[in-house]
Amino acid sequence: MAVIAHDPSMPTQTHAEVTRDVVRTITDKPTRGYYILAGTMAMLTLLLFITFGALLKYGLGLAGYAPPIMWAVYITTFVFWIGIGHAGTLISAILYLFRSRWRTAVYRSTEAMTVFAVMTAALFPIIHIGRQWLFYWLIPYPNQRYLWPNFKSPLMWDVFAISTYLTVSSTFLVIGLVPDIAAVRDHVSGWKKKLYSALALGWTGADSQWRHYTRAYLYLAALATPLVLSVHSVVSWDFAMSIIPGWHGTIFAPYFVAGAIYSGIGMVLTLIIPLRKVLGLEHMITAYHFDNLAKLTLFTGSILFYAYGMEYFIAWYSGNPFEQTTFWRRAFGPNWWAGWTMIICNAFVSQLLWFKKIRVNIPALFVISIFINIGMWFERWVIIAMSLTNDYIPYAWGQINPTWADWCILAGSFGWFGLWFTLFYKNFPIVAIQEIKEMIPMGRRKSPAEAH
Amino acid sequence: MAGQTEADGVDRRQFLKVLGTVGGGAAVLSGCSTDRVAKLVPYMVQSEDQVPGIPTWYASTCAECSSGCGLHVKTREGRPIKLEGNPDHPINAGTLCSRGQAGLQALYNPDRLAGPMAKNAAGTWDAIKWDDAIARFAARVGAAHGELAVINGYGASTFSSLLTRWTSALGGFITNFEPFSREAERLANRKSWGRTDLPVYDFAAAKYIVSFGADYLETWGSVVEHQRGFAASHGFHDGGMSRAVFVGPRLSLTAANSDEWLNVPPGAEVLVALAMAQVIAAKHGHALAGSLSRYSPGKVARETGLTADQITTLATAFAAASPSLAVAGGVGAQHRGAIDLCQAVNTLNEVAGNLGRTVQFGSAPAASEGYGAIQPLFDRMAKGEFQVVLVHDANPLYTLPRSGKFAEAFAKVTFKVSTAAILDETAKACDLILPNLHGLERWDDLTPRAGITGMMQPVIEPVRGGLHTGDVLLKAAKAVGGAVAAFSAPSFEAYLKGEWQKTLNAADFDTAWREALGKGGMFSAAPAAEQPKTAAGSEVSYTTPVFDGNGDYIFMPYPSMQYHDGRGANKPWLLENPDPITKITWQSWVEIHPDTAEKLDVREGEIVELASPHGTLRVPVYVYAGVRPDTFAMPLGLGHTEYGRYAKDRGVNALDLLGAADGQGFLPYVATRVSLARTGDYRKVARVDGMPRQLGRGIIQSMPIAYAAKGMTPEQSYKAAGGSFPESNTELERTALEGWRERQLEQTRVGNYAADNMPKWGMAVDLSRCTGCSACVTACYAENNIPTVGEEQIFRRREMSWMRIERYWEGGTGGEPLQARFSPVMCQHCDNAPCEPVCPVYAAYHTPDGLNGQVYNRCVGTRYCSNNCPFKVRYFNWLKFNDTAWPEPLNLQLNPDVTTRARGVMEKCTFCIQRIRGVQNTARLEDRTVRDGEIVTACAQACPSGAIKFGNVKDPAAEVVQWKRDQRGYTMLEEANVRPSVTYLAKVLHVEPAAFHGSEER
Repeated sequence: MAVIAHDPSMPTQTHAEVTRDVVRTITDKPTRGYYILAGTMAMLTLLLFITFGALLKYGLGLAGYAPPIMWAVYITTFVFWIGIGHAGTLISAILYLFRSRWRTAVYRSTEAMTVFAVMTAALFPIIHIGRQWLFYWLIPYPNQRYLWPNFKSPLMWDVFAISTYLTVSSTFLVIGLVPDIAAVRDHVSGWKKKLYSALALGWTGADSQWRHYTRAYLYLAALATPLVLSVHSVVSWDFAMSIIPGWHGTIFAPYFVAGAIYSGIGMVLTLIIPLRKVLGLEHMITAYHFDNLAKLTLFTGSILFYAYGMEYFIAWYSGNPFEQTTFWRRAFGPNWWAGWTMIICNAFVSQLLWFKKIRVNIPALFVISIFINIGMWFERWVIIAMSLTNDYIPYAWGQINPTWADWCILAGSFGWFGLWFTLFYKNFPIVAIQEIKEMIPMGRRKSPAEAH
Repeated sequence: MAGQTEADGVDRRQFLKVLGTVGGGAAVLSGCSTDRVAKLVPYMVQSEDQVPGIPTWYASTCAECSSGCGLHVKTREGRPIKLEGNPDHPINAGTLCSRGQAGLQALYNPDRLAGPMAKNAAGTWDAIKWDDAIARFAARVGAAHGELAVINGYGASTFSSLLTRWTSALGGFITNFEPFSREAERLANRKSWGRTDLPVYDFAAAKYIVSFGADYLETWGSVVEHQRGFAASHGFHDGGMSRAVFVGPRLSLTAANSDEWLNVPPGAEVLVALAMAQVIAAKHGHALAGSLSRYSPGKVARETGLTADQITTLATAFAAASPSLAVAGGVGAQHRGAIDLCQAVNTLNEVAGNLGRTVQFGSAPAASEGYGAIQPLFDRMAKGEFQVVLVHDANPLYTLPRSGKFAEAFAKVTFKVSTAAILDETAKACDLILPNLHGLERWDDLTPRAGITGMMQPVIEPVRGGLHTGDVLLKAAKAVGGAVAAFSAPSFEAYLKGEWQKTLNAADFDTAWREALGKGGMFSAAPAAEQPKTAAGSEVSYTTPVFDGNGDYIFMPYPSMQYHDGRGANKPWLLENPDPITKITWQSWVEIHPDTAEKLDVREGEIVELASPHGTLRVPVYVYAGVRPDTFAMPLGLGHTEYGRYAKDRGVNALDLLGAADGQGFLPYVATRVSLARTGDYRKVARVDGMPRQLGRGIIQSMPIAYAAKGMTPEQSYKAAGGSFPESNTELERTALEGWRERQLEQTRVGNYAADNMPKWGMAVDLSRCTGCSACVTACYAENNIPTVGEEQIFRRREMSWMRIERYWEGGTGGEPLQARFSPVMCQHCDNAPCEPVCPVYAAYHTPDGLNGQVYNRCVGTRYCSNNCPFKVRYFNWLKFNDTAWPEPLNLQLNPDVTTRARGVMEKCTFCIQRIRGVQNTARLEDRTVRDGEIVTACAQACPSGAIKFGNVKDPAAEVVQWKRDQRGYTMLEEANVRPSVTYLAKVLHVEPAAFHGSEER
């Protein structure tokens, strides 16, 4: 047999090994480390809700808001999490439609990340409004007072964008899980068996089920694809539709979408690099996959670089003194450090990924991913909060110092997200078993060991 | 019916407005008291002047300072809820300053004493009954055998004369004490002309005003009257306006409103005045020319830091403008040469021919004595000459410098009595407190000057358990007997009426009395008096003022506009209303010039220790280019050790650095040198201004008077002066925008919005009249139930002031003079409002009459409206401010026509929608349309300068339309195309067009 070059997208394991390796991540007893991790996340979640309770009791004044900065840490963190939610669908849906085979190893984890990130983000519109208990007034529900929300308001569009995205992405995740849950079901016993049986929705692996399943998955992917672009465009219009210099930019939609994907992949890297080690999946998620993720990061990072440049260009070219002041102060004003953090972490650090050596160097990628996370949080902080510090009326200009209530909600949101993700990866297959198996090249002869 | 007699010749509205309580005193009082009732009981027999939901107005008089402005007290269901100026009053003509309006917070102050208190052996306070208290008082007074001292801070009035007679009958000693009593001026007048009364100044008639340290728009004299006069002459009208110059070491609000600030060292003002007088006298060959020859501009120029030319030009212009007006005095110029200064200014007025024209003697304001009288009294106290001291309406232990050992002297008196309604520093040192009633709770009068007597009548039952000191005196007189038994009136009310019966037409006293009450007092022209003239050859002298200590910097305390002599420090409205110049709230600060700050390496907020030979204090720095590099300036009024929750331990008292004994007859405030030591501590300065420069954004526009006279628009003016005026929109874009506007209008003409007969409310603000005094801000707080938030929240700029006075600096660098610009900024009620479309729940919406409505109940608090507001005039309830801002009984002040807002909702200026609807309802009931000028917003009502005009812009005859048509009109941020309903009329500057292009406004 002629030796052919190994295709790095092809798994090297057999079908049985794939099932065994993935199911083991669920059936193995949780380690002490896992309990510490999950416990930490639970504590942070508790912190989130305690702080939220304090905000409910006393008012938003506990946070550091200082007019004219009416949106600060909470909206920044909201956009941060929504942005993270974009990488998952990009990888699972768009790359699926493009038949990008390298996605297989990482898509389940990114998809889970997406759902949990959107779940985290969805908390923030509620946390940040003045009368949180009336958040449902933003939803167009029939009522006897004939009160209807204002469909002109970008915040309304936002409500629809987020709720749609949460619905579709969670459906997509659950549908994709069905065959894998069935595989897990076959390897557990006791109450767990009952649980997974229920979740597997009677999956038997029959041909007819597969036929329907693959169709459904394809259509859902097609449905989710436009959302990747639309949701963050709508989020960007929360800002772009206003008249605030620094918000009011026509490039905001593509700029925000690119930023969202960039931040999402950053978070994917941050999550799966330790995860593959902890779960012993290094042979499934390989340097090849990271190389591809890094290329995507480089691409979106370069778009951001362009967008940053273009914002400054437009500020200068428009001749608009308000715009010019905002951008001058973004780089050289009292908050210059925030502006430069954003530019360095996003525009500059991403350019390191032109080098293949860096793209396949896992520790380096991990460090870069942390920079991306920090940079993208600061991007939103700079755009949202720092633009508000200096708009039209100089007398009203101000500065902001976040307080404990800001930081606790921010940290708590990581706990909330982390708790879901931690529970997920220990209870559900974090690598898509059936899709990996599909990729395994067919042997010329069927060995009895593989027939199961 | 009460007041029927007045109805003749008074139209119905007027009648309703000025309805006076008449008849049997307390019997007509349907006022509520603070006693809690278990059940709500409706009026069985409704009082005639109480209609639920309809305000009743009573005339009264303001006692917050000695100016004696007339009040109209708005009461609702028996509660005074707002103080406005009495339009018939000759002094304030319907307007009122911040301090006057905040009188309500003295009435409802939560720290008012509930009744008389006696200090027990342990040094703590026992609440006692009034009978007991008066008995104790009478026993002590009776046993004092004339060893009785009385310190009276209340102005000339029937009460004060009673107190004086009562004291003399007992053989006691009385002094009428007022901390800022303008003694230097009186002493100078004695030296100049042999008279100690003070003139009245006619700012309205003056064409050229020079002030030597006198802050006539802030704290010096009858401020509201001055502001009215200043606006009349210095507001741009008929193509011209007067010119104002300020000579002094600090750019005060008055200086900032002047066209020129001549920055001279403390003490050198005298030389400028003398040199000016010399130039004028020499020119006109005046009899005083000889004695003035020593002070020619050339000789004094070096010491003043000015050039001889500057002084000569100033003098020539001053003399040429007839009548002109020079004023001097005030705390800021009260150095050891203050008498010389006032005398020099007397001379200047005399040679310029202003006496009898802008400087009118004759209506002598009541002679209050100040330091010159109180110091000997305390000396006698220290010697143990008094057994009893009674302190009425004064707080000498706070308002006198600590170094004078007044507290120690006071302690030597065996039995000390105070009538303070709130435990202040002096009351704390007393043995017995007999809390007096507030001016709105008592019968009283006040005569600020001859011919003007304001009356006070009780418009509410005592909020706390006070008793009128007049009644205390009468009751004590009965108990003491003997010489004071002659004071036999059953009550002070009866005594007051008895005294008035002597002056009013006795034939029909009741009618005359009612008329006086309804009008607010008796106002007649000042008696004609001969104007003084200096004897030829009399000497005018100048000696270089001496300063105590050998610090490097001259210390200049000045009275705060809000706290005055300290009595404003317990009123949250005044604490939260920023100082007009520094925009600092709730704090004390010391002003240091930027160059000095750099030299000393101190920054804003750094706490420094100032040390004089008399004391030290620690205070945060405010770096201010409007103070001389060799001078530190500091406001007075804070640093109380008592005086209620708001005042206690807030800030520091600048008097702690001053010396006391001097023997000149007045307290020399600017007489100390201080040194500065850094402490390394820091306290954030509670400022409410962000960037104090306009950055060419045209927020407050101005134009040279030559261009204004030509009828140019601000845009034409900027261009003509060679400056730039950015083309925000090209011609093509403007056409497009107009087309867009038409389409927008068409699309909005549906439902309620289709009606053509709807008014459209609009406002115009004349910036050439606005002085930045901030009376409108307090009016807005009072009218609209705006909560105060306190220092901690101000650190985060969470103040709720629907209306703010923006203050921007111009110049100050590169040889350009430092100038201030002031502008009231409230919701602009944009026609194309950016706040409206972004609200997801329609809480922000446009009313058919052109207002930006804000539905509090619908607001969920996304705050997008505020982000999108280019003017940043929306205010968010970050916390439960409505729970904390009005501790009982302050909540009694709340305007029942305006809701208080819950936390979590956005609020903003409504153009006083409740007033609009109120007038509309009245008009509908009377089956007529709303008349122009009938609706007056709270800010416009209060403004002493008359800078704000409100009305229906669809009515071509409306005054606001005339204002808006003025060529000086512009709207803020025109380039944002939000189409505000507020038009500003550009400020007019006495500046040569050639010098104008350096402006930063555009």
